[in-house]
Amino acid sequence: MDVIESHVDNSSKEYKENFANYEKFVKNLKDKISIAAKGGGEEKIKLHKSRNKMLARERIDALLDPDTPFMEFNSLAGYGMYKDRSPCAGMVTGVGIVHGREVLIVANDATVTGGTYYPMTVKKHLRAQEIAKENNLPCIYLVDSGGAFLPMQDEVFPDREHFGRIFYNQATMSSMSIPQIAVVMGSCTAGGAYVPAMSDETIIVKGTGTIFLGGPPLVKAATGEEVTAENLGGADVHCRESGVSDHYAHDDPEAIHMARNIVENLNRPEKTQLDVRKPEEPAYDIKEIYGIIPKDPRTPFDIREIIARIVDGSKFHEFKALYGETLVCGFARIMGYPVGILANNGVLFSESALKGTHFIEMCCQRKIPLIFLQNITGFMVGKKYEAGGIAKDGAKMVSAVATAQVPKFTVIIAGSFGAGNYGMCGRAYGPRQLWMWPNARISVMGGQQAAGVLLTVKKDQLWRKGKEMTEEEEKAITEPILDKYEKEGNPYYSTARIWDDGILDPVNTRLVLGLGISASLNAPISDWKPGVFRM
Amino acid sequence: MFINYEHENHVYNVSVERRKDQYFVTYDNTEYKVEADEIKPGHLKIKLGDRVIKCVITKGDKDKFVFVEGDVFKVRNIELTGAKKTKKKEKGSLNSPISGKVVSIKVKDGDKVKKGDVLMIIEAMKMEYLIRAPYNGKVKKVNFKENNQIEIGQNTVEITKEKED
Repeated sequence: MDVIESHVDNSSKEYKENFANYEKFVKNLKDKISIAAKGGGEEKIKLHKSRNKMLARERIDALLDPDTPFMEFNSLAGYGMYKDRSPCAGMVTGVGIVHGREVLIVANDATVTGGTYYPMTVKKHLRAQEIAKENNLPCIYLVDSGGAFLPMQDEVFPDREHFGRIFYNQATMSSMSIPQIAVVMGSCTAGGAYVPAMSDETIIVKGTGTIFLGGPPLVKAATGEEVTAENLGGADVHCRESGVSDHYAHDDPEAIHMARNIVENLNRPEKTQLDVRKPEEPAYDIKEIYGIIPKDPRTPFDIREIIARIVDGSKFHEFKALYGETLVCGFARIMGYPVGILANNGVLFSESALKGTHFIEMCCQRKIPLIFLQNITGFMVGKKYEAGGIAKDGAKMVSAVATAQVPKFTVIIAGSFGAGNYGMCGRAYGPRQLWMWPNARISVMGGQQAAGVLLTVKKDQLWRKGKEMTEEEEKAITEPILDKYEKEGNPYYSTARIWDDGILDPVNTRLVLGLGISASLNAPISDWKPGVFRM
Repeated sequence: MFINYEHENHVYNVSVERRKDQYFVTYDNTEYKVEADEIKPGHLKIKLGDRVIKCVITKGDKDKFVFVEGDVFKVRNIELTGAKKTKKKEKGSLNSPISGKVVSIKVKDGDKVKKGDVLMIIEAMKMEYLIRAPYNGKVKKVNFKENNQIEIGQNTVEITKEKED
């Protein structure tokens, strides 16, 4: 394969300015993540440890094979929401390696409001289960939660994608031969009691783990019976009498050890085989991405410079390089795995969409995972393009993306606007993972454009009444819209609401994509069955 | 001139410039002054600072083998594709790459411009497209005014190319 020739001048003023600017983005990201990772804060951590319990992240570390990576999801879920009372949404989720195989881990963080479920906690739990389901990964639940956050019951309990769905997923995944394992390391109250009860195999820790539908205060209120938590739903009750739990652990480390033993005996099927080569670092310094992303998001840049810093050896076999040039397509390898890359290099025209569709068809036939690098301001608008059928050509691409059965991965590296988001495998198109870079922006259109559209509509209404607008009145309409788009288009607004799986420092992109592809190979890749393409 | 070669899976980008009898080789932002004589075909005497190195180069099927002071290095020149095309484009066409609005004009008729100077900025689809001078010259005519609508392929600025001496 040929190596991409880079034209980045890393001694230029522009590069240095971009680099300095991007370092701020990355520092901001790291600061936010490290705060969220502290969970409920020093005092709560102390209290938690005084109960002889390990922290959620310590439990995960102990569970995983030593020196193996952990791909964490949604580490900034709930950021800036609920008055910041639910950092990391009170839960750590991710994919890690136990006895050489990938597993999906959901660990409650009891230092954050007792591990109770805020709306984003529920969403994060369900998203983790979705990842397990799509990638055929055994689930390990490290349970330590007081159940639903009662003051917000209307946002966590009744709907389809609310608390009940967690147990629905456990049952359906178990039926798909995806093992469900619970380790009860704290409270499992009320609805939460169903997590261990619905699992295939359950461990409980003596002294700290409890499972019951109604806790001691509720029992007293309902029947007058007085009972301690341990006598009501502790390890002895559930391992010796009720049979709700299968394994009896004396402390957290023993429980983790037992969980590893369970995984060791799962007899998981062989992973899907791809033509894998020895991984190779890119020929160029990955960190140069900082200097390539322009400070001003309106400045175009050559996406091949980014591809050159993500793929193995910077080697790229480009497809249709002279046609539909605003979408760069080609084959490469990431951490040794073969991939097909679609990357924006300008606004999408009919030709770009057709080329993308053709490329996706090939990857689906050859069963090659797809990587989408999104930097898209939309499909081209205007009379000429509408008459040229850009809507139907865009639809072909959207259809190909939607039906593509190979594992898909999306990274929003800059803008993600309008239908371009659909064509480039946005959240709604089921990528196995969707990541953002800290400079990214996402909204239905740009703030300026949205304000312009609304202003035109309003002006037309007034014009029909024979009225006109003053400059102040115009400002009164446009400014709130601009503010709204500015706020909501921010990647932290997105990631707080789990519209993505997290924000990445660009230098980690290669590794994370490699882990994602590796995890995806736990599920078979079926044959492709496309829909009807409008011709 | 730029040379890219591969050795043990690593790509080295080296720039080589010849000034009189010397070569200036730049690699990884460091410049080396090199003198080289070809004693007989494939045999080189290289002077790098105070060091004199003799080496022999033999050509294999795809690879070259370089014998230096008892070591053998296998290297391969690599063809590069892809980004080359964009480089050409960056050098600049004076035609608009997209239909949009002229938001800024940086030159006026009669101005002298250098290769790479920004002449005009066109905004479309939330992006700004810079029209840069493809060569040194003099502005003959600016075809648009600020806030004008411009169509894809229309000529933005006419430039008389400076004669190279």
